[in-house]
Amino acid sequence: MKRRAFLHGASVLLGSSALGTVLEAFAETPRKATWLSASELATLAALVDTILPATDSPAASAADTHYFIDLAIPACASPAAQQTFRKGLREFGAKNFAKLPPDKQIALLKARAQKDQAPEYDQSFFKILKDYTLSGYFLSEIGATKALAYEQVPGGYWGDLPLAPDQKAWAI
Amino acid sequence: MSDTNKYDAIVVGSGISGGWAAKELCEKGLKTLVLERGHPLRHIEDYKTALKNPWELPHNNRATNADKAAQPIQSTLYLYDQSTKKHFVNDNLHPYTQAQPFNWYRGYQVGGRSLMWARHVFRYSDLDFEANQREGVGIDWPIRYKDIAPWYDHVEKFIGASGENSGLAQLPSQNLQPPFEMNALEKHIRGRFAEKFAGERKLICSATAVLSREHNGRGPCQGRNQCARGCPYSAYFSSNGVTLPAAAATGNLTLRPDSIVHSLIYDEGADKVTGVRIVDAATMKTQEYFARVVFLCASTLNSTAILLNSRSLRFPDGLGNDSGELGHNLMDHHNGGGATASYSKLLDRYYRGRRATSMYIPRFRNVARKEEKFKRGYGYEVYTWRDSWTRGVGGAEFGADFKNGITRPGDWGLYTEGYGETLSNHENRMWISPEKQDRWGIPRINVSMTYGENEKAMAQQMMDDAVEMMEAAGLENVKGFNHAVTPGSVIHEMGTARMGRDPKTSVLNGFNQIHAAPNVFVTDGSCMVSSPTQNPSLTYMALTARAVNHAAEEMKAGSI
Repeated sequence: MKRRAFLHGASVLLGSSALGTVLEAFAETPRKATWLSASELATLAALVDTILPATDSPAASAADTHYFIDLAIPACASPAAQQTFRKGLREFGAKNFAKLPPDKQIALLKARAQKDQAPEYDQSFFKILKDYTLSGYFLSEIGATKALAYEQVPGGYWGDLPLAPDQKAWAI
Repeated sequence: MSDTNKYDAIVVGSGISGGWAAKELCEKGLKTLVLERGHPLRHIEDYKTALKNPWELPHNNRATNADKAAQPIQSTLYLYDQSTKKHFVNDNLHPYTQAQPFNWYRGYQVGGRSLMWARHVFRYSDLDFEANQREGVGIDWPIRYKDIAPWYDHVEKFIGASGENSGLAQLPSQNLQPPFEMNALEKHIRGRFAEKFAGERKLICSATAVLSREHNGRGPCQGRNQCARGCPYSAYFSSNGVTLPAAAATGNLTLRPDSIVHSLIYDEGADKVTGVRIVDAATMKTQEYFARVVFLCASTLNSTAILLNSRSLRFPDGLGNDSGELGHNLMDHHNGGGATASYSKLLDRYYRGRRATSMYIPRFRNVARKEEKFKRGYGYEVYTWRDSWTRGVGGAEFGADFKNGITRPGDWGLYTEGYGETLSNHENRMWISPEKQDRWGIPRINVSMTYGENEKAMAQQMMDDAVEMMEAAGLENVKGFNHAVTPGSVIHEMGTARMGRDPKTSVLNGFNQIHAAPNVFVTDGSCMVSSPTQNPSLTYMALTARAVNHAAEEMKAGSI
């Protein structure tokens, strides 16, 4: 048993709770937007699902990526980026994006993606949207464990293994 | 003065050097007081974020604007995120003046920066110890490899390190556990190097204070690579997990956190240092502690600031500053030159776990042949991976095919940067402004450092060599870079109280004693005479253990 004594350290931490207010917000059901209006949030849900739709893993909105963005952008993005993002969201809202058929949604977002490649990050709605959509989804529990492969404590390091059939990429 | 204010030894600081001083002094049977300016931090129990998943951390571990406002310098570090921010100082509470841009990354807590260090532990060789004398740069080291080699052994055996011995004279062999395995790309590069560079340039697994096997009840590494959060398995070396518990086990340790040392107490009549004055960080009250010897291990800039703030009739310009060199000859490494590359073969190979170290290319410049363009040399850290979802963040693509693509392992990627030696230069320095005090009455530190022509010429070659080597290895999209580095950014700040043989040109002697105050030892980075290319912490630990041994001998002999 002594050989495994070092594992005791981890058990101390697994019993601890150090969750911040953000996590409490996540735990609320039903969830509410804190920054965006209900209609902005609906537009955002449609946008994140156009970027990361359901495939062999759930869609971005199934991982609450739109709620993540509603919290993370006002907290983490620069004031200019926040403004760019909200303006862009309203433009998509004005086009009734959430209610459009998927092919129209794809066409609209494709046009915006092209137009938004040249501007700097803070002035590019698409760059900001994609950044937060990907980090919101792929670092969520669903994204990391279902769309990707994830081990919080791998138990060691194996440097050179054959790639397993349909192996997912590591989330981190 | 009450008895509780009297000890055999006082150690200022509980980081890598202070932890070692504490362990060695306590194990010699000396009652030892460790003064740490930062807050208490219990091993394991206080590593609250250590086992958090990304989604359990605020904003999936992304720093907020409020974080960056409180820690504008600390938050620029690659290690900084929601999981590690508590281990870095609030820059607004602890201001310093950048006479030239200088990034000062600090951790004010028990264990100091030993919690967040990058854990590379290489030895210096006589190529390093003899360089200043050979080239007429700065002053000569008062020691040679044979003086420190037994202490490298002593430290390595206790801390536990893994990695690979290079077999090269400029990177002496060490006591190492088996290395972490190379991945398929690294094995490929290693093979190509062997074909192209005739053993002169090698790829090895870095010597790292991370355990690949169990050692004294610690480890092995569980493959999280989240060391800076603190390790619940004690698999990497920190003061909190290793030296402080060893010191405490002797019964001789008293650890006093929240104790900001203001200055050393100098007794003019007895002509010696008798103790230290502190300000309690919480109560703001001052307090004095007394001991026969004092070890300053508060980190390069803070140890020297304490000496500069210790003024007396005998030492009007700061304790031990007869030479006028105190505060001068500040160095850091520079790591602006390197390369990125990719590789679209070996795609049937992958890895599991997150390796908590890098690969390494030991120094090869100015070893066998003398370079025309610059003195000294550099070693490279090499990082490789297979692309994951982050490759999708840029670009205009989206949708189902896009998502399917980026959730599968992509091409191999590689990033390498050189770590170059910086020459000692009197003009690179720190000093204190007594008229500007923080809330604890401690004078403001000013820093002025710039890289010189030698470093600039070296950085260019660092880039060119990285490109040459990765092209020789057959990698694709090889792109060199050579970006400007803000001094301090490598977090290897050193010098400012250098060792030497001559009291006229140095602050410390060959045993890290202040020439004119031999019961004061300075054993952190401030003692450094030159900066070699290798990561310096192992040398601080070895010099500290050696200095404690010397202090104990002199105390026994009654000479201090």
